[in-house]
Amino acid sequence: MNAPIVDPYQGEFPETIEEYLHHGTMKCIAFNRTGTLLAAGCSNGSCVIWDFETRGLAREFCDKDCTAPITSVSWSKYGHRLLASATDKSLTLWDVSTGEKIARITLQQTPLRASLQPGSPTPSICLACPLSSAPLLVDLNTGSTTVLPVSVSENGNPPAPNPRNKFADGTPPFTPTAATFDKHGDLIYVGNSKGEILIVDSKSIQVHAVILIPGGTVVKDIVLSRDGQYLLTNSNDRVIRVYKNILPVKSSREEIRNISTNCNDYASHYDKLKANGASCLILSCELSDAISKIQWKAPCFSGNGEWILGASANKGEHRLQIWNQAGRLVKILEGPKEALIDLAWHPVEPTIVTVSVTGYVYIWAKEHVENWSAFAPDFVELEENEEYVEREDEFDLNPREEMAEELEIDENAYVDIETYEKNAMFSDVEDSVAEITFLPAIPSPDAPDEQPEKCLGSSSKLEDSNHSGSPSSMDAVQNGQTIPPASSPMEVDNSTAEDPAEGPNSKRKRRLSVKGLEMQQSEKGKKPGTKNKSNGKSTKFSAKQMESANGNSSAFDDEATEDDEVNIDC
Amino acid sequence: MSQQPAPPPPYRPYRQVRTATPHSRAVSCVRFSPCGRVLATASLDGTIALLSPSSLAVIAVLRGHTDGVSDLSWSTDSFYLCSASDDRTIRIWDIRSVLAGGAQADPGADRCVRVLRGHTNFVFTANFNPQTSSQIASGGFDCTVRIWDAKSGRCARTIDAHSEPVTSVHFIRDGSIIVSGSHDGSCKIWDAKTGACLKTVIDDKKPAVSFAMFSPNGKFILVAALDDSLKLCNFATGKFLKVYGGHVNRVYCIQSAFSVTNGKYIVSGSEDNCVYIWDLQGRNILQKLEGHTDTVISVSCHPTENKIASGGLDNDKTLRLWVQDS
Repeated sequence: MNAPIVDPYQGEFPETIEEYLHHGTMKCIAFNRTGTLLAAGCSNGSCVIWDFETRGLAREFCDKDCTAPITSVSWSKYGHRLLASATDKSLTLWDVSTGEKIARITLQQTPLRASLQPGSPTPSICLACPLSSAPLLVDLNTGSTTVLPVSVSENGNPPAPNPRNKFADGTPPFTPTAATFDKHGDLIYVGNSKGEILIVDSKSIQVHAVILIPGGTVVKDIVLSRDGQYLLTNSNDRVIRVYKNILPVKSSREEIRNISTNCNDYASHYDKLKANGASCLILSCELSDAISKIQWKAPCFSGNGEWILGASANKGEHRLQIWNQAGRLVKILEGPKEALIDLAWHPVEPTIVTVSVTGYVYIWAKEHVENWSAFAPDFVELEENEEYVEREDEFDLNPREEMAEELEIDENAYVDIETYEKNAMFSDVEDSVAEITFLPAIPSPDAPDEQPEKCLGSSSKLEDSNHSGSPSSMDAVQNGQTIPPASSPMEVDNSTAEDPAEGPNSKRKRRLSVKGLEMQQSEKGKKPGTKNKSNGKSTKFSAKQMESANGNSSAFDDEATEDDEVNIDC
Repeated sequence: MSQQPAPPPPYRPYRQVRTATPHSRAVSCVRFSPCGRVLATASLDGTIALLSPSSLAVIAVLRGHTDGVSDLSWSTDSFYLCSASDDRTIRIWDIRSVLAGGAQADPGADRCVRVLRGHTNFVFTANFNPQTSSQIASGGFDCTVRIWDAKSGRCARTIDAHSEPVTSVHFIRDGSIIVSGSHDGSCKIWDAKTGACLKTVIDDKKPAVSFAMFSPNGKFILVAALDDSLKLCNFATGKFLKVYGGHVNRVYCIQSAFSVTNGKYIVSGSEDNCVYIWDLQGRNILQKLEGHTDTVISVSCHPTENKIASGGLDNDKTLRLWVQDS
């Protein structure tokens, strides 16, 4: 709607941590379809929904049964349902608008990831990827599960008719297997431990095609882009591979059935599946870090599918790399010295959200550059000096052009003040379904001890003010741990008295951006204890942050290893 | 008019059906709730009255502001009302019990759920984000536009928007941008998320911009200036598409309204004590509603019925309800 005045070339990548969110210890995140709400699963079993416009806490779902750390959260297509998987082997489905628990199912294995079927507005089927067995399709209403095939025998025999027999047929113990629905939930892409992508029909649970991944190592993640055009795999050989999906996004099931029934003159069934695979996915590029060869964590596509984002899986590193579709590295983002455990790219904006092991959620966004010409409508910003060429009639008493301009507006022209267009970005919305894009805010009553004049100052000042203090220091204060000696009492006051109105445990802070990060980078080599007084607060901030991170490192590392081992090799 | 697809129905005049004096001083703002079931009025006496939109009977009075109230805004679900006051605060009021209980609701209950503090001078205008209702924009005599998180009461952003008092702020229908008008004669568009200035629509030193709001579809802005002008402006190009005149507006920040329930009209108060109704397309005055005995400072159109409410300043103090004959 505001399209005519918004600059479309405002850039594609986030550049800096704009803000962070804090509520308990968040473990995993997911955006709703339009990116207006961000769901997060916490280590205490609760799920929270942040209003991403105001960056305020909109809802919290908790229950006496749900106390185990959440491993993943998933939205239904139009935001009516939220599915959470937890380490107590449970799947919990929440009604977003009422906050009621609709269903809770306990599986045999801990689901590492669970996603709702994208086809339906109120799905009851979800795809769960457990810790050490094949992916399951779970009916949340009945609790019935269907095990998906994770391999196809190469000896020419068709796959075992009953996939449940897989446990008995001598295949090696299952590793966690990655799987994802396609755009409309017709097909499931399964990445197995042998380095194959299996395309499975979500209705008949039949393997239609196999794609061999070069390298043939365990597939850790398999992710579809938002428009369904691209698929990426993250393999244990430290390479992210991007595939172009050449099946039609709609009616992909019919198409693949056609492919499968077409020709049959292959030496074996396996050859036929491979041939089918060749007409489903085409490898378009391979992404890896040529120098340090790091393992990747939680790779994903940007909202428009043009960029691929991967995070370093190294401990104590919060590093993101962005590639374009041609496989060229275009941006490296480096955050605080905390391992990253989950991330998401905003569906429409150049904004990335990452979760660190400390349970903080960082929001990476474009740095806001003031567009000065917006303040003076007659002025145009120039990249460099230009010679001004005076108009012929510029100093005439009656400039002709101005008169012509006056005539342009026909005051009798019809104006329409009522009709408006829908956002073209989300053209796939069915009109019949009312999408939940915002949750009505319930203003929480004033805290009695609220301080007057509690205002964070002007936006421009906020950018380089580090009034908010370091998140880690706040964490330390909140956990009741001793405050690192490096922090001055004044700063502690700041962080505890931060915003009494926001509730005891939820925080949303604007962070120092450029300056702070630069300082932090420069501080990296130094020992945590060193403190450069002349650099003022920013230095204190980073030193303190490192120190408190170090102080808590044992706890964080434990968490990190737990997560890492699950996803890398077992 | 020649380009209009269908000829407009013949104009049916409005007539006064009710009058009430709910306040002891000037009425400063009248606002129908989006659900159409409550009419809220604010006054210089510091109170806000909630009235029945048909009988003008007072359902409840909201007390709490220690100084005059200048502006009101409803959340889209009609559950909350926010008020901007000269006591430098914005208050959020919970109206749910009034909507649920109707006349039985306790008229004197304290319905204030939150006080937003931060403005360093009179708050002149406040507006709920129509999408989330968790966001409020405000402007005042400290020349800033502030964006508040309604849930926590935190001031999320302060924009040094103008060099003179801000007279109006208004969100576009999808909540993405905000228009602000100021006594410094400018009218600017802001990104609601980042607080960035996206466009300066009007950049004159004079006359002061006394009122600015988006059209219902968010494609245009209606801008009033203290030179007796009311203009419909394409904010993308900065061009004035329609100019409505004939009324008097030199001193006060008079709140206008779009009327879309029957014909498409522009409705505005005037300093000659009348309510003016213009044809949106033809720009001609369709009717002058006479009755008030002082400047008509605020008008509001009912969301579904052909009803206009108007409020007058200190020499009048009345609230009047006008209905189109059927």
